[in-house]
Amino acid sequence: MVAPSSAISDANSTARRDGALLSAASVTVDYPGVRALDGVSIDFRAGEIHAIVGENGAGKSTLMKVLSGSVRPTAGQLRLAGSAVAFTRPSDAIRAGIAMVHQELNLVPTLDVAENVMLGREPTRMLGVAIDRPRQRARARELLAMLGADLTDDHALARRAGDLSVAEAQFVEIAKCLASDARVLIFDEPTAVLGEREASRLLALLKRMRDEGRAVIFISHHLDEVVAIADRVSVLRDGKLVQSFARDAAGAIAGEDALAHAMVGRELGSIYPAKGEAMPQASGAASNAIELVGFGARGRSSGISLAVKPGEIVGFAGLVGSGRTETAEAIVGLRRREGVVRVDGREVAFANPRAAMRAGVAYVSEDRKGRGLHVTLSSVANMTLPSLDAYTHFGGARVDSRAERAVAERWIGSFAIRCARPDLPISSLSGGNQQKFALARWLETKPKVLVIDEPTRGVDVGAKGEIYRIIAELARAGLACIVISSELPELIGLAHRVVVMRGGTVAGELSREKLARHDSDERIVRLASGLSEEKESHA
Amino acid sequence: MSARSNDSRFRIQPFLEKWGVIVAFALLFAVSTWKQGFDFLNPENLRTLLNSNAPVGILAVGMTLVIVSSGIDLSVGSMVVLSAALGTTAMNSLIGNEWSEGSAVALGALVTLGAGLFAGAINGSLVVFGRIAPFIATLGGLAAFRSMALAIADAGEIRSQSSTLFGVLGRGGIPLAYESAPAVDATGEAAAPVFHGLLNGAGKPLTLPYSVIVFFAVAIVAQWFLSRARFGRQLVAVGANETAARYAGIPIAWVRFRVYAIMGLLAGVAGLVQSSRMNSVSTAQLGLGSELDAIAAVVIGGTSLRGGFGRVWGTVVGVLILGMITNILTISGVSPYWQGAVKGAVIVLAVLVQRGSRD
Repeated sequence: MVAPSSAISDANSTARRDGALLSAASVTVDYPGVRALDGVSIDFRAGEIHAIVGENGAGKSTLMKVLSGSVRPTAGQLRLAGSAVAFTRPSDAIRAGIAMVHQELNLVPTLDVAENVMLGREPTRMLGVAIDRPRQRARARELLAMLGADLTDDHALARRAGDLSVAEAQFVEIAKCLASDARVLIFDEPTAVLGEREASRLLALLKRMRDEGRAVIFISHHLDEVVAIADRVSVLRDGKLVQSFARDAAGAIAGEDALAHAMVGRELGSIYPAKGEAMPQASGAASNAIELVGFGARGRSSGISLAVKPGEIVGFAGLVGSGRTETAEAIVGLRRREGVVRVDGREVAFANPRAAMRAGVAYVSEDRKGRGLHVTLSSVANMTLPSLDAYTHFGGARVDSRAERAVAERWIGSFAIRCARPDLPISSLSGGNQQKFALARWLETKPKVLVIDEPTRGVDVGAKGEIYRIIAELARAGLACIVISSELPELIGLAHRVVVMRGGTVAGELSREKLARHDSDERIVRLASGLSEEKESHA
Repeated sequence: MSARSNDSRFRIQPFLEKWGVIVAFALLFAVSTWKQGFDFLNPENLRTLLNSNAPVGILAVGMTLVIVSSGIDLSVGSMVVLSAALGTTAMNSLIGNEWSEGSAVALGALVTLGAGLFAGAINGSLVVFGRIAPFIATLGGLAAFRSMALAIADAGEIRSQSSTLFGVLGRGGIPLAYESAPAVDATGEAAAPVFHGLLNGAGKPLTLPYSVIVFFAVAIVAQWFLSRARFGRQLVAVGANETAARYAGIPIAWVRFRVYAIMGLLAGVAGLVQSSRMNSVSTAQLGLGSELDAIAAVVIGGTSLRGGFGRVWGTVVGVLILGMITNILTISGVSPYWQGAVKGAVIVLAVLVQRGSRD
């Protein structure tokens, strides 16, 4: 619903009265063949956390790109502190005090923490020739301390950014924004790559930024976070601003249901499929599809013993850095391993994902852009890459492009993937649709065991539900699934049992009965964070 | 919908990015024709243009594949001279041992190709198993392979001992004219032959050189492999994102190894063409600097130096563009010392025009 033009000018004058720091007035962005933003008018005030929510493809990222100067609007304008501004490149926005913390962190891995924080604004001496390293370090320390980060001692400041954890790198990234004296901070899904504890710490930090009088813009798929910290929430759908919610006098904001409803334009039932149906049939009789004995990724995890039956979904919970991904990667031969893996009762030692694939074990990476997919290649090429041999003739001398296309079309149909042109680079699809392809390409290899890492990272609510349904159906058809996730509701809603990892080993396990209890999420958090020493039965 | 009209609007940048190499080729062709008139369009001149650029063209085709895999091969010129030196030496010693010319030439050719393949396999092993950056590994090859060739001949020339057969590949071709029937006149004496078709300045039939046929055949096969075969898909996947390729179960080591081995084999082919053409191998000169010409042709042709995207047909046009530039500069009397500057400018210009959304 686009506001009529008179309402826009009203909104603008209101915004000025209320001291909107940054505002967009009927901003439209056209990409070839698609209108990404359609007359969006919105303002952001100092001392306020303004959350933007919407499904993938709703226009959130485009709006943020407009605000941060990397996309120029086709129509409409931006106003900063009341006067019109036009950014032609990101550095214009940064100079104007608008800083964006990207989903993909932009640190220089070979520089140390202090250098990264002060990158581009290094304090100098000797007429600007030499970098004043002590002052650089002091200033970086000051900024990091302001954030409440642990990276303030000399040793930490000298660490290379490439060695930091994702959570630490994010702190550095934010400190970088503060170094540029940003008045407007834009966070694009900052908690997507964080475990629960790091996430809550980050949210506290956002509040602090707000209390210091900055305008904080916050994009998130986590509606619970939005409801918890946002002062205002605006919902985008199909490039239009659908609705804005403000916190009322009593301090309450719209509920998650109302937000979700506004986002998808329809009521969502429970997004988790009924679990009872998905239980493995004859669980006692079926032999194990995959079995780990004293397994681990050398140096990262160890002593993991676990068996998954056909049709069973086992969840892997744990904080970031607890060794979940590393363990999965070791199973399919991407890392050095220790211990024993048995597939269908036979001991295996995969040298690489190809060997794992041939034995029926597929791994869908958590890092869709960097590892899971080739973003520059077409959807079809991505779809068929792991199973390419099935479409080749004459010993690989010819790839049957028609057969490839047919396979892609088939999965587009069965997974309801929104993809009009499978021959275009897959980066043109939304995160949810990319994820469906990432899953489909491995299902095409006909696996018996599917290890799926963060199945819904960066995926919107609607597509999440569909992916859950797909996983549940696969399990019902006899696939053994290991689901690694940092989202507890996802694990509790989807898995038959959940293994909790901490510090590279299994801290405990929750059976189906325990998962069904209302305090299951708390139990998982306690196990993952080391608050509870109770060892659940797992053998 | 306004978005549609936006879409169909003509934009110069994407157009040049895709077709710039053709535009440049057409422009150069037009300029050459304007400057030289019939002298340029003369089939004999065009034949010379193709013929003289065939060896570097063969290298450039291989280089396209290497660069698509986000690698580079600096050692191609040295592989050319080493394979040619070994092959010619082998052939000469066989002829010296009273072998028939035919079998000596055939075996010499096999040695040349085999030496190229082997040198390429060494590069591939260093890159894949030694985990040495392609730039460094092949920089080593650039020095080492040339030095071996120099050592074989004391930095001198290896002259072929084959009287005629060895020169067929480099100098022979399919005649583009046929001789009309009676070669005997009324008096019974031999008459001057009458040819129908394309003739050279001396009135003899013009030939389509075998080396040009080899060049185009290699290019067509490579283009097919790049766009239609599994190996090409794997090359693109490895070049675009090696990590993602590993996660997708692509045998990265095998793909990378093969592309360097193929490059070596093609260097052997170029070495064979060159030694056959000269009937000798100048170990100090042959293939010197041809890695730069090959890389330049690839870049002009629109293949991304970052890997993950490439087109062999563009490289072929790039080779011809470089050839025409040399041709036109020589005809216009520009000092050879200045020709490098012009070529350099063209290469930089090609990259400027073609950089776009792929960056």
